[in-house]
Amino acid sequence: MTAQMFFIGFFGLASVWFGIVVFRTFSMVRSALALLFSQTALGAMFLSMQAEFLGVLQIMMMATEMSIMAIFMVMFMMDPGGLGEMDMTHQKRLSLGAGIVAFVAAVAVAVFVDWGPIADVAPDAAQQTVDLGLELLGRSMLIFETAGITILTAMIAATAVAIPPVKRKPSKGATHHEH
Amino acid sequence: MNLIAIAILAPLVAAVLILLLRRAPAALSLLGTVIGLIASIGLLTNAFAGVAGALTLPGLPDMPLLLVATPLTALLSTLVAVVCIFVMIYAVGYMKKDDEKVRFSATLLLFAAAMQTLVLAGDWILLLAAWELIGLSSYLLIGFWYRRPGVTSAATRAFMVTRSADLGLYIAVFILIATTGSSDIATTLNMGGSAAIVAGLLLLVAAMGKSAQTPLHDWLQRAMAGPTPVSALLHSATLVAAGAILLIRTAPMLPAETLLVIGIVGGITTVVTGLIALGENDLKRLLAASTSSQYGLMLLAVGAGVPLAALLHLIAHAAIKSALFLGAGVFQHSRDGTTFGKLEGAGRDQPRIFFGFALAALALAGIPPLSGFFSKDAIIAASLASSDAWLLASFALAGTLLTGAYMARALSILWHGDRQKRSIPGLGWMGAGLAGLVTLAVILGAFFPSIETLLRASLAEDENTLAQILGLSAALSGLALGWFISGERLLGPLLPWSQRGFAVAGGMDNLLVRPAFAIARRCEKLERSLYTGVLAVGRLGLNIGRGARFGDERGIDGLIFALVRGTINLGNRARTLQSGLIHREMAITVVGAALIFAILFIPLLFF
Amino acid sequence: MSIELLLALITGAALFGVGIYGALSQTNLVMIMMGVELILAGAMVNLLAFWRYLHPDNPAGQMFVLIIMTVMAIEMAVGFGVAIARFRAKGSVEMEEATELKG
Repeated sequence: MTAQMFFIGFFGLASVWFGIVVFRTFSMVRSALALLFSQTALGAMFLSMQAEFLGVLQIMMMATEMSIMAIFMVMFMMDPGGLGEMDMTHQKRLSLGAGIVAFVAAVAVAVFVDWGPIADVAPDAAQQTVDLGLELLGRSMLIFETAGITILTAMIAATAVAIPPVKRKPSKGATHHEH
Repeated sequence: MNLIAIAILAPLVAAVLILLLRRAPAALSLLGTVIGLIASIGLLTNAFAGVAGALTLPGLPDMPLLLVATPLTALLSTLVAVVCIFVMIYAVGYMKKDDEKVRFSATLLLFAAAMQTLVLAGDWILLLAAWELIGLSSYLLIGFWYRRPGVTSAATRAFMVTRSADLGLYIAVFILIATTGSSDIATTLNMGGSAAIVAGLLLLVAAMGKSAQTPLHDWLQRAMAGPTPVSALLHSATLVAAGAILLIRTAPMLPAETLLVIGIVGGITTVVTGLIALGENDLKRLLAASTSSQYGLMLLAVGAGVPLAALLHLIAHAAIKSALFLGAGVFQHSRDGTTFGKLEGAGRDQPRIFFGFALAALALAGIPPLSGFFSKDAIIAASLASSDAWLLASFALAGTLLTGAYMARALSILWHGDRQKRSIPGLGWMGAGLAGLVTLAVILGAFFPSIETLLRASLAEDENTLAQILGLSAALSGLALGWFISGERLLGPLLPWSQRGFAVAGGMDNLLVRPAFAIARRCEKLERSLYTGVLAVGRLGLNIGRGARFGDERGIDGLIFALVRGTINLGNRARTLQSGLIHREMAITVVGAALIFAILFIPLLFF
Repeated sequence: MSIELLLALITGAALFGVGIYGALSQTNLVMIMMGVELILAGAMVNLLAFWRYLHPDNPAGQMFVLIIMTVMAIEMAVGFGVAIARFRAKGSVEMEEATELKG
């Protein structure tokens, strides 16, 4: 049992645990924080898998994202603390069944597939970053650019959707009136 | 153009023109008849000059249609045309108030054309055709006032009786053509033997039908339902004359046995119908019965072997009887009817008309120097000269006596009675027609010698004095009886018989008319069943169509609509999946993805 | 067969299953988004494990992870935008009440 194996197992377990916690608490703030922890554990797992760039990126992004989510919960939800202990779920049995089936199927695939030879050595961190940069700006440039433009579009769209609609004066002879 | 063609075509063209233009029927019909008359006179002049005209038309193979203008046919053609013209003039006045002058004139002209064809026909086939045509047009004319009660039945009866008798002509013509192999009348006249006897008897049957001889005399009296000009033209001078003309023309071929039968039939007719005339209560019906009686005299002359006498009497009778009818028509207009009850004294209303009527009546009775005297004298002489003189002569004398009696009776009734004065529209035209015919009736006797020379035959001169004395005394005693003693008393026990038309065993009604109507009814039943059959076929077709429509609606349409309904139901079913709820749709997505994975991966596990 | 790879794959499977459960069971739009985040996280773990233990010399695996992160960010942004708009319009982001998409 190597240290890598231990850390992968530990952080994976943590990630899954916090993932479960997300749906087991009545507090939405707590859910958001649990998700934050889950994603952070995932980032740590990336680090233990020798992917420094991605691990750090994961931790940073998810920290920001989940903080925003927590703030959002506080801003908009009627009971962000979960003090009312209201059940906010439905079709539980179907969901549980689907989740278990998906898990079992994925595990079965993971266990029964012959994955071939295992590479022991990964390139060092600097080399990885160089390779990733060359990959992004070379062979996969189209995908990368598409992703960038999609993000830009999403930002604009989200802003446009979120901005409150401008109240216009009803023009003369308008066929319908706003109320 | 051939004069024969003009004589026939002029009235025909006028008829067509009248039907097409539908106006000026009087002028057009007069024009047509005048042209026809001129052509006929032309033919007669040619015949006097010894020129015989002929016209050959394409007909059956080896049997061309012939129109000939021999002296006899030219004479008859002229007679027809002359009577036609006077009747037409009279009809202008008579029909003045009638609404259907067009139909009347056209039919009358059609009849004239058919009659001209009949007398001028040179072959049996054309004669048959003309024979049928005059039958048809007489039916149309008798039934002219078809809306009046009893008129259609009278027309039908006349048609039925003459048609039945026509069968005799058909069979006779078949026999003649089959025996001689030619349809030319002149050729067939040379045949003899038993075929000639049979054919002659059959021709006699046809003539009896058309000339209303006993026992087929009933239809003529009923035919008086038609307009009076029709009675004058058809039932005295032309249509009825067709039978006598037929026998006169075929007389050369008739053997002695047939002649005897003809003579006896004529004799019986002249007596029987004379008695009927004596018992009649209607002027026109009296005249009709008298017509039958006079044609009986003509047949008697033929039977006595002197067709020339018959011809002379035919000509004289045509003018006389037409004149009598025209006079009767005037009285009819003056008293709105022809029964003697209404006509009493009608002669005093119109003394000039009555004078003409009386002249014609005296002519018919055979008073010299009027035309009837000469012709009747010829007949009596012929009967006295024949081999069966006792029989035929007594018939002829009885006929003459009766003629005088019923004519005197008619005159007496017309003269004795109250005067009524009323104006008659169209009296001028009617008077003109009557005057012309009366003139002819008076003076025709003067032309008889020239007719004899024309036909190159002469009457037997011996015993002529005896015949004159006998005939004149019979006529005079008849006139005296008729004038002084009423018809009822004269008839005595015979009166009911005479009023029933001497119907033997129910008369022709039982023998001919009833069976004919029964056949007609049966034919109608057959036709009705055929009609039902046709209707059933039609209904079957309709049902097939309905079945096809049902198949279309329930089968094809049903299939399509079921498909449509199924699609709509499926759509509604699928619509329930579209709940719009995110979690539902996500669940569906997940399950669907799982299914797709399963479908994709299960084969991979096995192969 | 490497234990590390198996552990990573099982972690990914577990995250995926939890994510599906969350996405299907939650009534709140934001909570559904969290489930989706978890599903994507599971995919990320798998991809990174495949890169590390099967093809470490091919940077495409890392590139895919990067793209998934992008997708997560986009999902978050659009999801929040929709949530805010819906909150403005209806005062709630409970998805059981939303039937506007009903066909």
